[in-house]
Amino acid sequence: MSVSLSARNIVKHYGGVVAISDANLDVHTGEVVALIGANGSGKSTLSKIINGVVVLDGGQLLLDEKPVHFSSPQAAKNLGISTVFQELSLIPQMTVAENIWLTREPLNKAGLVDRKTVNARTEELLALFEGTYKNSLNPDITVGALPADEKQIIEILKAICFNPRLIILDEATASLDRRQVQRLFELIAQWKLEDKAVIFVSHRMEEIFRIADTFSVLRNGVTVGSGSMKDISEKELVNLMVAKESASNVVQRERLVQENSTDRKVRLEVENLRTNILKNISLQLKDGELLGVGGLVGQGQKDLLLALFGDLPYEGTVKISNESVHFKNTRQAINKGVALVPGERSKEGLLYIRSILENLLLPSWGKYGFPTKIKKAVQDSQEISTSLNLKMAGLDEPVSSLSGGNAQKVVIGKWLLRKPKLLLLDDPTKGVDVGTKAEFYKLLERLCADGTAILFYSSDDDELIGLCDRVMVMHDGIMRSELKGASLTKSNLIGASLGATNEGMG
Amino acid sequence: MKKIRWQYIAFRNPYLFALLLLILAAAVNFFFEPDLFTRDTLNSNMRVFLPLILLAVGQAIVILGGGIDISVGAIVSIVNTILATQLGTGASPQRTALMLVAVLFVGMAAGALNGFFVSYLRLQPIITTYASSFLFAGVALFILPAPGGSVPDSISHFYRDTTFLGLPLGFIIIPILLLVWYLVQQTRYGRYLYAVGGKADAAYQTAVPVNTIRFSTYVASGFMAALSGIAITLLTSAGNASIGDALTLSSVTAAVIGGTALRGGVGGIAGAIIGALILGLIKNIISFANINLWWQTFANAAIIVGALAAPGVIELVRRKRS
Repeated sequence: MSVSLSARNIVKHYGGVVAISDANLDVHTGEVVALIGANGSGKSTLSKIINGVVVLDGGQLLLDEKPVHFSSPQAAKNLGISTVFQELSLIPQMTVAENIWLTREPLNKAGLVDRKTVNARTEELLALFEGTYKNSLNPDITVGALPADEKQIIEILKAICFNPRLIILDEATASLDRRQVQRLFELIAQWKLEDKAVIFVSHRMEEIFRIADTFSVLRNGVTVGSGSMKDISEKELVNLMVAKESASNVVQRERLVQENSTDRKVRLEVENLRTNILKNISLQLKDGELLGVGGLVGQGQKDLLLALFGDLPYEGTVKISNESVHFKNTRQAINKGVALVPGERSKEGLLYIRSILENLLLPSWGKYGFPTKIKKAVQDSQEISTSLNLKMAGLDEPVSSLSGGNAQKVVIGKWLLRKPKLLLLDDPTKGVDVGTKAEFYKLLERLCADGTAILFYSSDDDELIGLCDRVMVMHDGIMRSELKGASLTKSNLIGASLGATNEGMG
Repeated sequence: MKKIRWQYIAFRNPYLFALLLLILAAAVNFFFEPDLFTRDTLNSNMRVFLPLILLAVGQAIVILGGGIDISVGAIVSIVNTILATQLGTGASPQRTALMLVAVLFVGMAAGALNGFFVSYLRLQPIITTYASSFLFAGVALFILPAPGGSVPDSISHFYRDTTFLGLPLGFIIIPILLLVWYLVQQTRYGRYLYAVGGKADAAYQTAVPVNTIRFSTYVASGFMAALSGIAITLLTSAGNASIGDALTLSSVTAAVIGGTALRGGVGGIAGAIIGALILGLIKNIISFANINLWWQTFANAAIIVGALAAPGVIELVRRKRS
């Protein structure tokens, strides 16, 4: 069951925008190739050409050395190519089993879907990730009700259910926790033994070095390098991606040696905050302080941010600048100088088809709306996009024309226009390329220096350790521990994340 | 915990609300009409309800697939006018059979036109089928400018008075519909239908033939509209180019009451059948209670607005409570 796939000189453009102009990729049986590139470099487009979702405009795909043309996802799937999509291809209203087997349902002799077999085989597939998800995950549960990491697991199982020959993993680890990633990597190792080929698309360098055999780097739609992972260092790889030396060492430990902030005012004080998920969270955040929130994915971090933003009912005391507040909606929170950069920017943060300008001004019409000060509004928007180094064709372009990293800048920019006093960040660097991340870290430092209090949830441990003054680690809705100063190390963070009770002992 | 359980029940039994409403409507109707459950009354009710039941089933399929078909009433009118003008009282059984098959194809062709516009030209379903409804209504008027025409007595008698195994015709047709639907749900096609209605992008990426499925829902709806047109023609034994007009909104209402979500991917035809029965009973109640006829329109409209608002209201109440 050997397989080889080559993409030669692939070209794809959308209207006048060239997404990829000369992309090349080779992958063979028993091999994991890492497809690497900054956001907007064309990785997703290339993988969507290989799986038939997007039809190429030029170049050639060779499967087992024979030219193939995929005019639809069916064509690619029938030849054994399957994909774990970055944005997931699950139907929320359907059950786990229905989703996994969609289009590949085992049929009985009468041509009807054989439910018994479906359920039995779904159980077998779920067993592959046994112990890394909550026990409630079963074939009959509706996918829409699942947390992000379990959805991701279902998406992976869906891709492997029909025993494909080539598996494309597009940011498949983004919402998985450590144990789940570990399990996935064990599976990948097994697939290699089964002569499958894997295309691994990821932003996480550490994972690429752990799992990939070869690499292929895309930059602005052109393949700029490929070879064996053994022959390249992380720094060289990053340089290939961004083509500038500076972006390599992304996280710096500058902020740890901050001036002692006793003279700063307390911006946010939370006591015994409770929701369905959160249990008695208490915290204090001063002006100019960057407080990290860490832990495994889905331990209540998002709920904490949403509750503080008035988007989730809660009990308990919340004080902003020593004034007791109880936000019933987000407008009340916004009026108190709170801003939230949400986790799912495409759904919660942006109006994709509207212009960048409209998106930026959306929360600020109170300032510019009556009487209208359009000139000032455009000018301020221009300023903020320049200061964020937003790469765009113009303020009138729709947000959908931007790459992931630049779209995220718009989300941040629209809140910065309001000059928030308390900024809540929900995993803002998820799926953002290294170059943009580096810019983003600088921005956070600048905001802190200006006195903004920031509550920063991130699924990237290095980020938390590198940037934050203190990190709260959450586990199952409670605050497991608070790490600061010398205790803020990766091993402590990981230990606390996993819910290990060694905290008291060590 | 309680909240989750309620959602679970509602998800597992999407027809629960409709069934409760059906029982309520039947009870009120029974109060006004104590012989409701005798065979003759059931029969006379069923033959009146059947056109809407058939239409609502087709509508539910389209809505499940993520679309909507506003042209079904006009398709009913076309079928009605064709039959009334082409058959007359004296048509031979062969000609009658031929015409009945022919109008089924007419219905499917009309549905195919809608399907082509919506799935291959990617036009908005509601606008497209609203526009095509005028096209179809125009065709019906062209065929039969003024009410008139007729059909052979034998077949309308068959429709009105058949009590197969002692059961009114409707009690035969509904189980057949349910059985067919049950089988469809077990096929890949059934899964594809829910997938396309649930999230078309994801379905496409999963290699579901999205366009074909969408197209097929409109053809199915056209077919059901033709069946509905046949039923209403046999019921009235006459032609009228605007006979289907009032049915369109009712078919959507029936599907929605029956738990078919207008955003697609949730529901089924059993709910639509129950919904159509409820609407029929309400119509009865209104006429028995000597309420002015415009109340019927009002009640119909109130139900659809209420059904549309219900999920939102429930969500609002839940949020307030927590």
